[in-house]
Amino acid sequence: MGSHVSRRQLLAAGAGAGLYAMLPFARAQSKSLVVATFPGTWNEAHRNLLAPYFRKRTGASVTQSIQLATEQIAKLEAAKGGRPPFDVAILDEPQVFDAAKQGLIDEYPAARSPNFKDLFPVYQDKWGPKISLQVIGIGYNPNKIKTPPKSYDDLLNPAYKGRVGLTALNSQLGMAFLAELNRIKGGTETNFDPAFAALRALLPNVGAVAANLGAYATLWQQEQVDIAPYNFNFVQTLKAKGVPVEFVVPDTGLVGWTTSLHLVKNAVEPDLAVQYIDSHLAADMQSEMEKPPYDIIPTNSKVPLAGAITQTVAKTPADLAKIRGFDWTKINPQRTALIERFNREIKL
Amino acid sequence: MASATRDEWPLALPLAALFIVCFVAPFCVLLALSLHADAQARAFSVAQYAKFFGDTFNLSILWSTLWLAIKATLVCLLFGYPIAWVCSRAPARWQSVLVFVVVLPILTSVVVRTFAWIVILGREGVLNHALRALHVIDQPVPLLFTETGVIAVLAQVQMPLMVLPLFATLSRIDRNLGDASAALGAGAWRTFFRITLPLSTPGLVAGCILVFSACATAFVTQTLIGGARLVYMPLHIYQQAIGANNWPFAAAISVVFTIAVMIVIYALNRVGRTGKAYGDAR
Repeated sequence: MGSHVSRRQLLAAGAGAGLYAMLPFARAQSKSLVVATFPGTWNEAHRNLLAPYFRKRTGASVTQSIQLATEQIAKLEAAKGGRPPFDVAILDEPQVFDAAKQGLIDEYPAARSPNFKDLFPVYQDKWGPKISLQVIGIGYNPNKIKTPPKSYDDLLNPAYKGRVGLTALNSQLGMAFLAELNRIKGGTETNFDPAFAALRALLPNVGAVAANLGAYATLWQQEQVDIAPYNFNFVQTLKAKGVPVEFVVPDTGLVGWTTSLHLVKNAVEPDLAVQYIDSHLAADMQSEMEKPPYDIIPTNSKVPLAGAITQTVAKTPADLAKIRGFDWTKINPQRTALIERFNREIKL
Repeated sequence: MASATRDEWPLALPLAALFIVCFVAPFCVLLALSLHADAQARAFSVAQYAKFFGDTFNLSILWSTLWLAIKATLVCLLFGYPIAWVCSRAPARWQSVLVFVVVLPILTSVVVRTFAWIVILGREGVLNHALRALHVIDQPVPLLFTETGVIAVLAQVQMPLMVLPLFATLSRIDRNLGDASAALGAGAWRTFFRITLPLSTPGLVAGCILVFSACATAFVTQTLIGGARLVYMPLHIYQQAIGANNWPFAAAISVVFTIAVMIVIYALNRVGRTGKAYGDAR
């Protein structure tokens, strides 16, 4: 080797680099915003579309922290009073109530967000704009299952022994599926016994209960499961990667919930955070996200429904409004007990 | 071993300070949190511990976690000992190659390694395809989401922790002892059990302690390979802390788990001391 670097030079260079990283002005030139995002479709769309859009708009870069809504609540609660681990939270409908009640998020400063007024009124929540609607139905592997399933009862078909997948209740997918199963079997938002009876009947068919959503996607890629409750968007994203999976709307209809972005209390970069959230609301951004492989349902009134959404989920905003939801203020207080009970029921 | 002289102890200060700030202090917080009845941490109580020990569900999870780690450690030992022995007896040039191969798994992230195992163990995975191609089986055998799968992956992932300490002790053993044993008429097995094994006890115990504690707490491997139906303590703690937001209970489970793991490690250490005394006496 020709080049000759002494140990002292190397140490000096290392110390210099360390110092540089610690100096505030060195980083001020290019600000960075830490945002939470969900695994799957969401982190991909946010990384590939939203982050570049935001960078163009503000010159700031984005650091993603991929986690579920429940994890974000726990981390924000742990950091309460201090510096939060991220400035923008992404929450599903049930967690918004918790976050607001626990004082983890600020009311959204709509006046500073020019795109906010373009959202349909139902999506203009004071705690943070709804960025989309997530819906669940049945995902199945068309290579293995020739007749497309019609209802959630098809999951009980003895032919699918060991082929059905589920996720743990820490994901909204798991919780919403349990609530829907409960409703179909005659339960109410305060009585989940019918859901657990149905779950017990389903367990012999269940080949895998993924502990997290990232692992759930892998199960489809590896063809470990052939049929399972799944999010519309996640199916679309996996399909675009060549994974054999199709989405069907069960005869009992779609179940959905809103997903929203929030300004975290005591955010380090509150202005950038609002700009980031506002970027997500922009009509041109939402039209991009509506395209495959994300197929994210828009909430901006200027973005017409298109593509796979109109084929499967809803043709018009009026159809979207008809998608069934749950009263999460009634279900939330039982969440701990439901998780506990679910874990006991499924334990091998 | 000579005890540290009076002038040397300040060398341990940086590590001790780090240990106090990053482990002892948080552990005290954890302990304090676990002694509260509710999440608001208003009144002191042992209710969380009473809840843990009053429920066979929790106890079965604790037991299955320790038992899982013991089984994985034994598998590591079974496969790791011969590897370490081969490494220690190999010519110097080969030794570095072999050690590199042993260390190789640690060079990739545990998440990456574990996802690779999903591809191997899956229903349509490499292993099932190979077994079917060889006509050993005609239906895919379930490996993913089974305890057998978890043990296999843990053993592979943690193997270097077993091999490296064993390799270090085995290569320090004076080869003349083996020759002397042979010269006195002992067979290979007798030499192994009377000479090599007792002399390698310190490395063996160190390896077992490392592998056991790593396997018991291997959250990533346990959850990705085991799934949500095989609940071990780390997942149980995670679910209580993050999913159920029940921090005092999660803290109590953590404390119980830490103590349980420490008891096993203490027991292993005792075995190690007995073994060492045995080795020294020979």
